[in-house]
Amino acid sequence: MSAATPPINWTPMIVGFAAGLVSRILYLRNGRTHYPGYPSGYVSQVALAIIAALIGSSIIVALVGKQFTAATFLTLAATQFRDVRNTERLTLEKEEQLLLVGRGPGYIEGIAITYEARNYLAMLVALATSLVTEFAPPWAGIAAGVGFVAVGELFMSGPRLGEMVEVRPTHVRFEQESLLYAGPVMMMEVGLPDSRERFRKHALAVTLTPKSPRGAAALWNIAQRQALSHQAAAAIGVQKDVGYPEQTPLCRMDMPQGNGEAGFVILPVERNLDKLIDAIKRTPLLESGKWSRVTSPILTKPPADHEPHQDEGGHTSHG
Amino acid sequence: MADAPTPIMFAVVTTNRETVVGGMAPVFVAEDEAERDRIALWISRITNAIVHDLHNGTVILTVNQSGS
Repeated sequence: MSAATPPINWTPMIVGFAAGLVSRILYLRNGRTHYPGYPSGYVSQVALAIIAALIGSSIIVALVGKQFTAATFLTLAATQFRDVRNTERLTLEKEEQLLLVGRGPGYIEGIAITYEARNYLAMLVALATSLVTEFAPPWAGIAAGVGFVAVGELFMSGPRLGEMVEVRPTHVRFEQESLLYAGPVMMMEVGLPDSRERFRKHALAVTLTPKSPRGAAALWNIAQRQALSHQAAAAIGVQKDVGYPEQTPLCRMDMPQGNGEAGFVILPVERNLDKLIDAIKRTPLLESGKWSRVTSPILTKPPADHEPHQDEGGHTSHG
Repeated sequence: MADAPTPIMFAVVTTNRETVVGGMAPVFVAEDEAERDRIALWISRITNAIVHDLHNGTVILTVNQSGS
């Protein structure tokens, strides 16, 4: 069958493989927002990276060598990476029940998609690099590899919340004795004097003001707010344990007005406002938050100027 | 998920028993506000409820159905 096989040119495969592997390993360093966090996690990721890079880089060599069976099998192997996303989602969903401040389903889906896409990207980088190396001198292939890795890096770093939303420090206060406010935004009712004292002493608060309609759409998305709460709690910690629902970090819209502004309040372990603001700004913009224009009450209608609430003399008759 | 809780009335603690009538939650009657807050704190620590003050001598305790 392969009586007159020409000598195989290994260079494209080696260069492509290296580029794919490097591109995948470069993305591993998003430690805090993304799985993995432990050596075993890294091992499985690196193993997948090697497989992905190998598939991507060997396909051109196989085609040039007229090994079409091999090429077909390689494409088949590539489809196996679909499962990676499900596995990742399952892991994170299991973990969710054990987190004090959960990531939320939207964030989990985002991480799982990114995780899957990175493997495919490593494959594409390896493929493109080996293609260039096959038909150009090795130095050009290496240069192209570096270029593709850089392009991939740009491509994969999605928008952050800080690009769409202004995050400003504010103070917490109580109105009518027990209504907790973060700046202008009413957060919740705190019934116990002890808890109010804790909020007065320890709480950090910020307001989130959208810079654009897209930013407002992101904030109206519950998943996005849950994600930023998770990121904030991960950055500065939260004074909370199982069974302290009151001390969960809260992110709420400025509701009677509905002008797209949100307030965020947290009881931090490490009282570091800069770190908090930075963490919120670096929260990834979730895919589910990008297109919620349709359901967003603020974006679908022109801003009506409602008067602020006045709750005087409501007739509540008891018994 | 912590973001969409469904609160259910769990208990009522009051210093003014005339303001509370009927309902599904037990009513605890306290002598004064200090005692009322102490009872509310105790119950909230035991049951993970959240305390809300109605400012008429009554505090209510709610629990979120989904937990957290």
